[in-house]
Amino acid sequence: MRVTVLLFGSEATAVGRDSVTVEISGPITGAELREHLNEHWPALRPMLPSARFAVNHAFAAPDQVIRATDEIALIGLVGGG
Amino acid sequence: MTIDIAIVDGPLGPVPATATRESHETGAAVMFEGIVRAQEDGRQLAALDYQAYRPMADRLLREIGERIAHKHGLDRLSVWHSRGRVSVGEVSFRLIVESSHRHESINAMNEFIDLLKRDVPIWKRPVWPER
Repeated sequence: MRVTVLLFGSEATAVGRDSVTVEISGPITGAELREHLNEHWPALRPMLPSARFAVNHAFAAPDQVIRATDEIALIGLVGGG
Repeated sequence: MTIDIAIVDGPLGPVPATATRESHETGAAVMFEGIVRAQEDGRQLAALDYQAYRPMADRLLREIGERIAHKHGLDRLSVWHSRGRVSVGEVSFRLIVESSHRHESINAMNEFIDLLKRDVPIWKRPVWPER
């Protein structure tokens, strides 16, 4: 199963693209997805500790299960206002 | 209680005439505007380029606005935020808070901006002058 994670701001700049794809064997939690990104996308490592996942446009708890059909975004430090 | 939320392309224009004075009970209207500064980290800046993750940004602005308005008993909370390019000296953010008395409006304004800066998925990228 492939999960696409949308990227914005410094995360998108760090990897040079606005999304990344992760191959997983089944539904996973946000914490597990974070580990996948940490392993496969080294450029994201410095930002991951302060970043949160949004699932279907709402912040997700670390133990929330993520499915391939969800819209997933990595929300790093924001800069509005 | 009225909540107005808008994410608009480019810099914000003048304050709309309908933006203030929700009712005759309103005794305080406080406005904050965020203006693009000429320098960023000591470097001359041309503009900021704002990116918003929609519709999450819209939804969070509304949720935060409703929560703050309810908590402080506001008459009205109106917020506008730019996306795209906003040049130095132009307005990229505007918040107008209205209530019966000033304390509610002033406290609500600070609280709203703190939550915006913590949670709302909007980012800004510096645009440097062409050499």
